[in-house]
Amino acid sequence: MKTLAKNPIYLRILAFVVLLAVVAAIFQSLTPAYLSSNNIHALLRHMAVQGLAALGLTFVIVVRQFDLSFPGVASLGAMTLGWLIASNFGVGAGIAGAVAVGLACGLVNGIAVSYLRLPDIVATIATGGLAIGLSYFYSNGTSISKNFFKSGILDLNDAKYFGLDAPVAILALTAAIAALILHGSRFGRAFYATGENRVSAVYSGIRVKAYVLAAFAICGALSCLAITLLVASSGAANVTAGSQLLMPAYAAVYLGAALFGAASVPATIAGTLLMSAMLNGFTLMAVPYFYSDAIVSTVLIVAIAAFDPKVSAALKRLRPARSPKALASTSLREVRS
Amino acid sequence: MANVLRMLGIHKRFGPVKALGGVDFELEAGEIHALLGVNGAGKSTLIKILSGVYTHDEGTIEIDGQPVELGSPRAAILAGVATVQQHPELVPDCTGVENIFLGHEGRKPGLFARIDRTAMRAAAQKLLQRFPIEIDLEARVGEMPAVDREIVAILHALRNENTRILILDEPTSTLTEREKASLFQLMRSLRAAGIAIIYITHRLEEVFEIADRFTVFRGGRNVATLTSQEATERGISIPELLLDEKAGDLFPERDGKADGDVLLEAKGLGRSGLFSGVDFELRRGEILGIFGLVGSGVDELSKTLFGAIRPDEGTMQVKGKAVRFRGPHDALKAGIFLVPGDRRTEGLAMTQDVVFNTTVAHLGRASRLGGLLKFGRNRLDTEALARDVGLQPFELDRPVSAFSGGNQQKIVIAKGLFRDSDIYIFVEPTVGVDIGARAKLYTLIRELSRRAGVIVMSSDCDEVHGLADRVMALYKGRPVETGGWNASRDQLLSAGIMGARAA
Repeated sequence: MKTLAKNPIYLRILAFVVLLAVVAAIFQSLTPAYLSSNNIHALLRHMAVQGLAALGLTFVIVVRQFDLSFPGVASLGAMTLGWLIASNFGVGAGIAGAVAVGLACGLVNGIAVSYLRLPDIVATIATGGLAIGLSYFYSNGTSISKNFFKSGILDLNDAKYFGLDAPVAILALTAAIAALILHGSRFGRAFYATGENRVSAVYSGIRVKAYVLAAFAICGALSCLAITLLVASSGAANVTAGSQLLMPAYAAVYLGAALFGAASVPATIAGTLLMSAMLNGFTLMAVPYFYSDAIVSTVLIVAIAAFDPKVSAALKRLRPARSPKALASTSLREVRS
Repeated sequence: MANVLRMLGIHKRFGPVKALGGVDFELEAGEIHALLGVNGAGKSTLIKILSGVYTHDEGTIEIDGQPVELGSPRAAILAGVATVQQHPELVPDCTGVENIFLGHEGRKPGLFARIDRTAMRAAAQKLLQRFPIEIDLEARVGEMPAVDREIVAILHALRNENTRILILDEPTSTLTEREKASLFQLMRSLRAAGIAIIYITHRLEEVFEIADRFTVFRGGRNVATLTSQEATERGISIPELLLDEKAGDLFPERDGKADGDVLLEAKGLGRSGLFSGVDFELRRGEILGIFGLVGSGVDELSKTLFGAIRPDEGTMQVKGKAVRFRGPHDALKAGIFLVPGDRRTEGLAMTQDVVFNTTVAHLGRASRLGGLLKFGRNRLDTEALARDVGLQPFELDRPVSAFSGGNQQKIVIAKGLFRDSDIYIFVEPTVGVDIGARAKLYTLIRELSRRAGVIVMSSDCDEVHGLADRVMALYKGRPVETGGWNASRDQLLSAGIMGARAA
């Protein structure tokens, strides 16, 4: 990691491109349809959903917190969207409602973690569970697809903006805004300063609590925007819709961070692309989802290990030491006896 | 002369950088040998070679006349070299005894092999018999004072009975005068037991107090090895040896009477349990020195002035206006900047670069309306400030963790300069900073005082007395009568250390 950290950025990009090419080559050799134009469109659409969720998570990871609620929050967002459409409020209101629900849940998380100082993992598991519970209210848990066809929500999946598939265009736009905030603005500096060292951030005049709150709010809102795209592509709102977001989002953020040295918007997008390239390949080969989940989880563990300097330092220590002409050890025999 | 250690012609390169260019070093059994040198002089590299962290490129190492290979920390320990790091890693929730025998607890026989506390205590007692020192090893390490933690770390290093050489890396940097005395007592009893101690320090007065001999490093070579007596007799100036140039006075000249406007005024300021009854006035153009040991309340006072702790008695006025800060952001807006005592945990974002850290305390200045950063402008500003503070090496894209302690402190000062405040509060400004960089920092602080008001709070009496225009002392949370704002060094010292009133 340390040697990687010294490498200039183009070497990191090269490493990413090589990795992506290897993944693509493997799947192309196994299933010839992999690099077909149709499949690449499908891959990118899938990536848009995962990418939006991972982008939101990136903010939380940058301030060094954890959010485990967003899959549940996304499910609640999906059902809110479905219910609003089924009740003839229209697509615009539906999306706004879903994102508002995500924002509200994110604010609850943020207040709990940053102002009430509750432990983030437990607090967000709780709000996630609460959100899943609430999502059953709309239809007792049955999926909602009433009015979907005539409402135009499906167009969100099929339309083209600027020559791009709509989901891809939405991801690109969101990523551009997120990158502007995190890497081009004073607010990004404050997010990173907060995550890096909370005390020094406070002493630098940064209101760290507000930034932690904002990170959770952004994560909640973006997970619901992500689920909107998923609902649009599947044609129905489902109480389990969000459950497929958790693992790929964490894997994408950590994989990106491992590749580029720290969590950032480009790193997350790169990580998502790699994850989607793999998941899509497995789907194409008809690998059952539980196996591909297992593989994603493996990737997540490897990425965390590579991200963690302690682990890479430990790996370094594993190289064989030269055998010392050591004096005999007479260590504390009286203690051992 | 019984040399326990001989290092001959040690060379070490890191890529293009020559860290050691032929160092010869000898250590006698049962001596305390101080290593002196500015940061980068090579003493740390030599120590790391001796403790098996680095391997040397050329040269030989002999312990007790036998050539040894110290390829790993484990090999060094087996060869009898024990090292206590600058900030020893101990388990705060365990007792002193448990920390000493961490990993060597021993066990009782039986199905549920339990830790054998009785044997551990007995072994600890045996250690204490060999090296008499007063310490309660049953206390939790997290609740121990700094010196006891240091002693636990030393005993941990010594539990191996064949230890012949003990390396102490700046053990006194966080200790008060009184704590230092009890550490020195332990060092003397180790010496009496025949253990040779290599002792790294930045504080020259300690060398004369404790060391039998000292070796000065400069530019990757050992330039002199002397006893304290020889140095005194021959009138050799250690700062000159360290710096390879006539060292000027460590402290810059005072400017004379400060008659600027009153910037900060505290009246009866206090916070229950921490400090109380603090009165002072700070004018533009002066340095106010506050001397206080660890635990005297200086650290808390600095944080109160900066809005991180709320006072529950007394008032504060900034430029004549009463203020009540809700947090450091209010203090910064009022024109107060704190250079905190611990740069690594309080002052800097360590993995971020110089530009990030310099601009982060004033993001409003660093960005346009709307919040977009002025990348080019910020870089130019940082460049100018880094030049003003004399940053070495001059690499703005480096993470600040890769700079030496003195240069990290310069980056915190650059951060304060970017903020362009009226009042600067320095807490322990030169802890862990080598002597060459210290003089530079003092000059910077003095320059800063020409256009702002500066408060320097420190547990180093000489620093406070040498640098400040006016001084006061804090003892157990209360200001002590020192005989006025112009107290002599000894008056200040006894006030801060014993709470004694000036005679």
